[in-house]
Amino acid sequence: MKKLVILTLAGAALGATTLATFAQDEAPFQNQIEARQSFMHIYRFNLGQLGAMAKGEAPYDAAEASAAATNLLAASKMNNRAMWPAGSDMSADGLEGVTWAKPELWSNMSEVGEKSRELTAALVAMAAVAGDGLGAVQSNMGAVADGCKGCHEPFRASKD
Amino acid sequence: MKRTLIVVFGFAIAGTGIFYVLSMPDPLTADQLPAVSADLANGELMFWAGGCRSCHAAPGAEDNELTLSGGMELPTPFGTFRSPNISPDPDAGIGRWSTLEFINAMVRGLSPQLEHYYPAFPYPHYQNMTFGDLIDLKGYLDTLPGSSNRVAEHALAFPYSLRRGIGLWKWRYLSRNAVVQTSAPSAEVERGRYLVNGAGHCGACHTPRDEYGGDMPDRFLSGAEAIEIAEGPDGQSVGRIPNITPHPDGIGAWSEKDIEYSLESGFDPDFDSFGGTMVEVQENMARLPAADRAAIAAYLKSIPALPSDSP
Repeated sequence: MKKLVILTLAGAALGATTLATFAQDEAPFQNQIEARQSFMHIYRFNLGQLGAMAKGEAPYDAAEASAAATNLLAASKMNNRAMWPAGSDMSADGLEGVTWAKPELWSNMSEVGEKSRELTAALVAMAAVAGDGLGAVQSNMGAVADGCKGCHEPFRASKD
Repeated sequence: MKRTLIVVFGFAIAGTGIFYVLSMPDPLTADQLPAVSADLANGELMFWAGGCRSCHAAPGAEDNELTLSGGMELPTPFGTFRSPNISPDPDAGIGRWSTLEFINAMVRGLSPQLEHYYPAFPYPHYQNMTFGDLIDLKGYLDTLPGSSNRVAEHALAFPYSLRRGIGLWKWRYLSRNAVVQTSAPSAEVERGRYLVNGAGHCGACHTPRDEYGGDMPDRFLSGAEAIEIAEGPDGQSVGRIPNITPHPDGIGAWSEKDIEYSLESGFDPDFDSFGGTMVEVQENMARLPAADRAAIAAYLKSIPALPSDSP
């Protein structure tokens, strides 16, 4: 049984690697760029749950708010370093209009780390109180936005 | 031969004369201003609507955003502009300026010595502000901390380095600068129009410019290449400034509430955060009264819907 599990895992890993290689053949860093954009989508989706309530477009629901905030916190703790390989910025051949990550991101990695810790801190605060009422969600949205903007201001180019 | 020389010489004199007249500064005079004292609270509102600190606070001085010591560099195809010190320091800043001198800078693009300012300073937009609001803004700026920081001159390529030539630019562009009128506007839309086209100077980034840097009025707010270019050998663009007209290419899918909330919170309707230079603009707008953000939203929904690449 144990052997079967190992074999299956090994097969899956091999398959994933092969897929990743194929994916890379289509466009440079396509796999990593898709992964990080999907990762950002997870943020947007969960922020949308909280935001619809904060904006008054959806009724406040303590359980849903709490779940969304907990997801956001979990996402912010996920190690996504491998999604940002060197050279996968907007100035690379074939990546204009595919990614908006500026080359400066890679030369300021310590700042990126610091900003990412600030986002996590804002989400710790949000997750702690998101179930306590609409006012708590609303008053924590600003700090979460600041967390997002911490990297989007210096390291993401404007896009249409 | 002699006659040819006379004709050529005559044209040269006439050309110089026309250049001289057309590029002449045209300042306001003191009797054109109302005799009112400054309302500092309204001046502060204008300060945030205009986002003065985004260019004039020292670069990276987030804790010091009210010290307008200047020095931000704006690399453009014409050369590098440097934002001046507009703190009330009497020597390095504008502390000695009269209200009339301040208003001539804001609406006529003229220094106290009546030299032309480059339109990197968005006076083509500020000229739409009322004298009352400008008097209030001057009063508010006078209350901010002084800074003795000296800013270096702009570093521009010839012929852009000749200031007098800006007089011609003004003659061509200043009067036609886009202020899109909507039919039968409500008081709210009017207020939004005033904020967007005056202090807010949204078009300075969102309206495309022609080869001489003048706004293209028939492409009002339909998105543009960023005028700022990234520093570095390849001079790569820092991106495209979005279309903010009610077209599907722009923000046609956004409700008024979405626009208002985005300016307040920094989140677009998809809950992506604003990025790049819009972050500071949004944070300035977040300081306005909610009714002013709503007015901006109402106006932006009322302007012509333009595709991003209309000719």
